[in-house]
Order: sequence, then C-alpha cells, then structure tokens
Amino acid sequence: MALGAVAFIVWLAVPAIASRSIVDVLVFTALYAIAGLGVSFLLGHCGIVTLAQSVFYGVGAYSAAYCTTQLGWAAPAGFLAGMGISAILAAVVGWPVLRLSGYFLALATLALGIIGHVLFLEWDWLTGGTLGIGGIPHLELFGLMLNTPQRFYYLAWLVLAIVLWLHANLLNSRTGVAMRALRDAPTAAAALGVDNHALKAKVFVLSAVLGSLAGSLFAHYVSFVSADSFGVDRAISFLLLAVLGGARTIIGPVLGALFVTVMPHALSTLGDIHALLFAAGLVVAVIFLPDGLAGLLQRALGRREQA
Amino acid sequence: MDLTLLLQSALAGLTNGFVYALIGLGLSVIFRGTRIINAMQGEFALIGGMASYVLLESLGVALPVAALGGAVLGGITGVLVEAVLVRPMRRRGASEESYLLLTLGVAFAISAAVLYFFGRDARLLPGIGGEASALFFDAAIRVHAIWLIVIASAVMALLWLFYHRTVVGLSMMAASVDEQGATTVGINVPLMRTLTFLLGGLVGGLAGVLVSPLITIHYEMGLLLTLKGFAAAILGGLANPFGAVVGGVTLGLVESGAVLYFASGYKDVVSMVILIVIMIVMPNGMLGRGARKGG
Repeated sequence: MALGAVAFIVWLAVPAIASRSIVDVLVFTALYAIAGLGVSFLLGHCGIVTLAQSVFYGVGAYSAAYCTTQLGWAAPAGFLAGMGISAILAAVVGWPVLRLSGYFLALATLALGIIGHVLFLEWDWLTGGTLGIGGIPHLELFGLMLNTPQRFYYLAWLVLAIVLWLHANLLNSRTGVAMRALRDAPTAAAALGVDNHALKAKVFVLSAVLGSLAGSLFAHYVSFVSADSFGVDRAISFLLLAVLGGARTIIGPVLGALFVTVMPHALSTLGDIHALLFAAGLVVAVIFLPDGLAGLLQRALGRREQA
Repeated sequence: MDLTLLLQSALAGLTNGFVYALIGLGLSVIFRGTRIINAMQGEFALIGGMASYVLLESLGVALPVAALGGAVLGGITGVLVEAVLVRPMRRRGASEESYLLLTLGVAFAISAAVLYFFGRDARLLPGIGGEASALFFDAAIRVHAIWLIVIASAVMALLWLFYHRTVVGLSMMAASVDEQGATTVGINVPLMRTLTFLLGGLVGGLAGVLVSPLITIHYEMGLLLTLKGFAAAILGGLANPFGAVVGGVTLGLVESGAVLYFASGYKDVVSMVILIVIMIVMPNGMLGRGARKGG
C-alpha cells in the first residue's frame, strides 16, 4: 500500500520535474498501454495473438482527424465514431477469422494489419495517404487547453487508469471467469455452456475499441496523422508490450509499454545500435521471462499471484 | 485485353510466384520437421543475399562461390537459432505463440543488425546471364528469372527425394510425427530438429541469393517475404512438399492479374485476402492431403 502511495506521488510529480521530452515519451507510454491492454487481454485471457491492433489504432486516429478537421464536429464525436467503426469492423472481420487458432490466427491478423496499412495509404481521399491530415485541434477539458505534453500526460494516464480499473472489474466478473476457462480448458468451457466463439469475438471487439480510443487520443495529442504511424511495426510493438509486460496481469501492459517507449528513447543516445540492442532484449525477454516483467516484479516483491 | 500485356504480366507473376515458393519451401521444411512456423524465414534470405553480396563485392570471390557461401551462412544461422534459442525454450515446454514471438524477435534482431552494419542502402547482386532477357512471343523475361524457376523446381524435387528416399530425411519426418516412437527406434530426435533448421536455413539462404538480382537486398525485406512465402505454403498446403510451389505460383499469378485491374498498391491486399480466405475455407490448402495442426 505504501509502495502504491509512493508510486502515485512520483507519478504526480513527474511532469514538474522531468524534461519535456521525457514527459512526451511518458504520454506515449500511456497511449501504448491503452492499445496494448486490448492486445494483452486477448493474449493473456483468451490465448489469441493479434497483430491487427494497428488497424484499430489507425481507425481511431483517422476518425478523430476526419471528424474534427473535415466535418467540423466536436472532439467527443470523433472518439465515438472511431470506437463505433472499430467495433463494427472487429465484429464483421473477427467473426470468421476467429474460427482459426494458433499460428494461423496470428498470421491472419498479421495479414489484416497489412491490409489495413495499405488501405490507409491508398484511400487518400479519406486519410490523406502519405501526406496525412494535419491541424487536428488540441483537446479541451473544462476550459483548459491540453496543448503541452505536461497537460496531456495527466489526461492520458487518467484514461489509462480508468480503463485498467474497468479491466480489473471485468476479470473478476462472470465473463472474466469464462474467459480464463476458455483459455485453459476450451472443451470443458464449452461443455459448461460457454459459447467459445462468441466470447472470443466479444473480446476482440473490446480490444479493438481500446485500440481506437488510444488512436483518437494520439491524433489529438500530435495533431497530425499519416499512414506511417499505423504500419505493421506498430502492431508488433503492441503485441510485444503485451508479451513483455506479462499478459496475464493487470499491471503488465503498463510495464510493457514503459519498456517499449522508454527503452528506445534511452538507448537512442547510443546511436544506430539501439535497434539491435532493443531486439536482442526482446529475444532474451521472450526466452527468460515467460510471465513478463510483471512476473519479475512479483517475484522481486516476494509474492506470487495466480492470474 | 492486349495479349502481350497479359502474357507479360503472367511471366512476371510466374517469377514472383517462384520467389514466394522458395521462401515457402523453407517454411514448410521447418514446419514439417519441428511444427514451428518460422517467422524469420525471410531473414534467412536477407542473410544469404547480404553474405553473397559481401563475398562478391568486398572479398572478390567468384559468383558461384559467393552464392554457395550465402546459402551456407543461411544454414549456419538456422543451426544457431535452433541450438541456442529454440532448444532451451522447448525444454521449458513453450507454447506455439512463444515460438512465433521468438522467431519474430530474432527476425527484428537480424534486421536491426543488418541496418547497423550495412546501413539503409539497397543492394543488387548480378544475375545469371547478367541483365539479358529472353523473348517469349512478344513478352520479355529475365534470363535470371528462368534460372530461378529451374533451380526452385530442382530444389523441390531434391527435397521430395530427400524426404522419401534417404534415411536422414525419413528419420527427420519420423522425429516430427512421433517423437517417442522415433526415439524408441534409435533416432536422435534433437539432432533431427537441428538438421531441420539447417535445411530450412539453407533453402532460405539460397532463396536470398536467387532473389537478390531481381529484388534488392535491404534490411527491411524479410518480413514481407516471410508473409508471402507463408501465404504460398498455406495456399498449397503446409504438409505437402509441392504445396509451396503450387501455392506460390497461384499467388504470383493472381497478384499480377490483380495489378491489371487495380492500382498496384492493392497487390498486397489481394494476396493477404486470399491468404485469410484460404486458411478459413480450405484449411489443408489446395492440394489438401494430410492434416494441419493448430488450426
């Protein structure tokens, strides 16, 4: 508990102490954690590897951009449009694709990620293609313009905290139990009346909505979006943060997001070799940390919880 | 439709198809031997292509030797990946997903290493027959592309003979199909798995050497090659040695046909949609014998 209080005070103080560029990186940590939570959810509780999260991240970002700059709507409308479109898209695409499992499902989602990226590039009447869409307005909250990293930091992390709280509640619900049953003993779950396929599809939709939420926040934060931000490499970052953080824990995606955002930033001072060190770190983590960073943290704190 | 244009696009599709087939062959070798989908198959090609480029341009070795060197380095990489990374994970009883993540991680590491040591430049190897083209009616095809098709077909035939007629090949299949049974009759199962990665790496490295005169060697080339190769292998059926070639050629022809009707950017959309649909509708591929595991 005391540790939690210390962490909270440190979190509050960071924008006041840290440099602008570090606060900027930490904003991305929160955005990645929100999108990555969706991926982590699918992986840790349903055993589904997805590489399509970049598509929903993109849908959220473009919806926010298009609705505010082209249609002149208020920002919340863009958020809702993005989440709505993502949910429908995830349901329509997810229903047939989630019949697959294992490697084949993973590669099907990777194919979806590639299709999404190509469409973001080609549909330039909607997305601006490689040129992108600029001039997306900053968010305004109770009359306060969120136009600096320091101000956006609090919003992004607040949204993350709310999403994590909802996530924890869901895991403890009846549906959460059904999900774990689905992961650990699919046949037994089916025998007990869990509709495996429908449940997977629902979680896929939920995951897409989270991706879209993060994408809309991203668009309003950087105020410019282009197809470069929604490539397969972004989907891979989301998956890796879920794996690195430990997909079965609630705090895992946050730790994973810290790793994939802060580590490249810290290593970039070493020059071009940072990409190599980062990739090597990933391989080591996959081999030696089956429970991710969260597992490591739990061991360090001397207590082990079953997810 | 102009007939020459149609023929030209068919030839381009055929060439691309055999490129995908070569990557797919390596993928299916590793899948059949270890039940692992190797997400770094395209990186074997990157290593093979880059190694033969360095041998040729920096060390002045003759082209055939450089080509051989590229393939061998691909094979050595395969052995190292199996022995150093895959084996410890297998001992812990890793899941399908973790092998996928492992090979994906290694793919990044190799791509990043190539970026660090060789930079962002794209490189081309000289082809067999140089830049010369052959005319087929009015449509042109690179002489090198014809060689690529011939060599890929030969590799497929040799793999078939290897798996059906040699003791090592049969042992590799036995080790994969029934681990305990194979051990009982005296087959060294871990050795067979290492040999599987050696073979997969060799085929991948060779693919890189053959592809590099047609598409440039570049640190980012691996992932899309892997995916196209995977699509080829899935399309034909992962368990069948001819699958990758049949699937690759089909994919190549459909892609080049699609370019005639849609903007060229949609080429990858067409092939990825085909991949998804085939996996759902025809889980065992077009040649459809032998069960597929995991889907």
